[in-house]
Amino acid sequence: MMSISNPSWADAEELPQNEVIENNDGTKTIISYKYTNGKKIKHTQKIKLVKVTESVDPAVATRRKWKRYGAEKNNKTVGPDARTTQFGEEVKLILSNSWAREAKQEEEEKKKESKATSKAITCRTCGGEHFTTKCPFKDTLGAEKKPESATAGAPAAGSVPSTPTLGSGASSYVPPHLRNRGPGAPPLQDRRERDDSTTLKVMNLNTAATEDQLRQVFSRFGNPQRVTIVRNRETRESRGLAFIEMDSIRTAQAAKDTLDGKGFLSMIMSVDWSKPKKN
Amino acid sequence: MMRPIMMKGHERPLTQVKYNKEGDLLLTVSKDKEASIWYSSNGERLGTLEGHAGTIWSIDVDKDTHYFVTASADFTVKLWLAETGECLHTWYFDSPVKRVEFNHICDKVVIVTDQAMGQKASVRVLNVNQKDAKAQDDQAVLTITNEEDSKNKYSVAGWSYGDLYLIVGHANGKVSKFDAKTGELLQTVDVHEGLITDIQFSEDRSYFVTSSKDKTAKLLDVDNLHIFKKYGADAPMNSACITPVKEFVILGGGQDARDVTTTSSSEGKFEARFYHKIFEDEIGRVKGHFGPLNYVAIHPNGTSYASGGEDGYIRLHHFHKSYFDFLYDVEKTAQSQVNNLQKEIEA
Repeated sequence: MMSISNPSWADAEELPQNEVIENNDGTKTIISYKYTNGKKIKHTQKIKLVKVTESVDPAVATRRKWKRYGAEKNNKTVGPDARTTQFGEEVKLILSNSWAREAKQEEEEKKKESKATSKAITCRTCGGEHFTTKCPFKDTLGAEKKPESATAGAPAAGSVPSTPTLGSGASSYVPPHLRNRGPGAPPLQDRRERDDSTTLKVMNLNTAATEDQLRQVFSRFGNPQRVTIVRNRETRESRGLAFIEMDSIRTAQAAKDTLDGKGFLSMIMSVDWSKPKKN
Repeated sequence: MMRPIMMKGHERPLTQVKYNKEGDLLLTVSKDKEASIWYSSNGERLGTLEGHAGTIWSIDVDKDTHYFVTASADFTVKLWLAETGECLHTWYFDSPVKRVEFNHICDKVVIVTDQAMGQKASVRVLNVNQKDAKAQDDQAVLTITNEEDSKNKYSVAGWSYGDLYLIVGHANGKVSKFDAKTGELLQTVDVHEGLITDIQFSEDRSYFVTSSKDKTAKLLDVDNLHIFKKYGADAPMNSACITPVKEFVILGGGQDARDVTTTSSSEGKFEARFYHKIFEDEIGRVKGHFGPLNYVAIHPNGTSYASGGEDGYIRLHHFHKSYFDFLYDVEKTAQSQVNNLQKEIEA
């Protein structure tokens, strides 16, 4: 049996004949039927034929019939050839005796707009669009924070005397990513110091694999805490390498034992600890 | 708003664009070795003229569009059959030919040869045999040589009304009028402070507009070479034309190609500028080219204009109704007064 979505010539016979109705006002109504995506569609057109007579200079008319020559001799395109002739973008020509003034105004407006859209500065106190020092909430928001940090900063410095509190001295330089850290914030972890004992390294991944797919695969053994696929910085294309942090060493071990050397998305994964075990 | 037709038929900067008498054909020449012939209504290319060995500086067409004539840097002027693009005759010279123009009855052309290769610049008039195009007289019927230094060399030339005078523009900004029959120098005036890049005439050829590297264009009459109007711009101007139907002047130019890198393209001033011919105000601009405009030409019926740029593109703009509707307030009041008077007379 034929499916409806794929009509054959045999089905086409079922379509009614096209109708042409001559209306009294000189127009014609054409009713036609056709199949589109398996649906029968009735198409009604109202057409008015208008005869336009255009008088052309006979010389121009003859020139219109000239055969092409030179580089265009063998060009069989009817009408303009897209290789040489294209339509450009629309251009404005508004004639006005105050043209210069209006153009200047327009330019200034554009400048203003571009300024409004580009958010170059953000206030650290309130997140507004101004310098922190010019913040209108400086006295209310900023004032509350300062004494807090001053009082809370002291015991922290006392307990860890080897690491001076960042930004405590007015003149000392604070790297941008460490600025504005509350005193209660945990001490910054160095990447090298991070506990990687439960992290697995998965190599030879299919580049089409996504974090969600990996999470699904590894959740059979436990609860993956963190799934990261290493990607190209520019193209965001997967480099076939992923790191999966499991919730415990036991589940990580189970996942490693089961999945290492197994196929996933038609690639054979190699699963290992992200760092060689110390013992 | 206008939707320009962009024609890319040349590899190198355009040097001249021109309509024929009816305006149905557009002729373009460039620094590559071919001339292109286009239908101006839709931008379709009819053909190319192949045969020159260097930059084609100038092109012209006779009033019946039977012949094209081109002037080239390969020291030649060529005559072509318009219908087939066949080269009928070649005139040879000793230096590059910068300009060529048919006279009104199309039995002569005026050419300008450059001051180069140890040759002095000259303006020459050649006879064009319309009946037997292959039998042309190789000798110029008139030669006007620049006897002064190279600063005074000729850059452009054209015929006045009735083919009576030759109007010649100099590299030092002077404009001269010569008797077209005898070659006698009738008048010279200081018009510009820089090279005169273009001279285009009004419909009746009784006045003309000059454009110059000194960032101005000026309107002069043929009889007295009196400067009537001055159109100031902010960049060197390469071309100017007088529009029929409307009282406008279109200027094209822009910063020189070699200086373009010193500014951003938005400030390169690569726009066609519309000035009111009488009031001298700039009334509009049309953007589009990426480089200076080397030539602007207006359709003989004033319905479209074409510009050829240093960027190798020809842009063909058909004017919309708003272009034809534009009037100054004074013009509007004057017109309504005339209408009222007419009504009164009829009553």
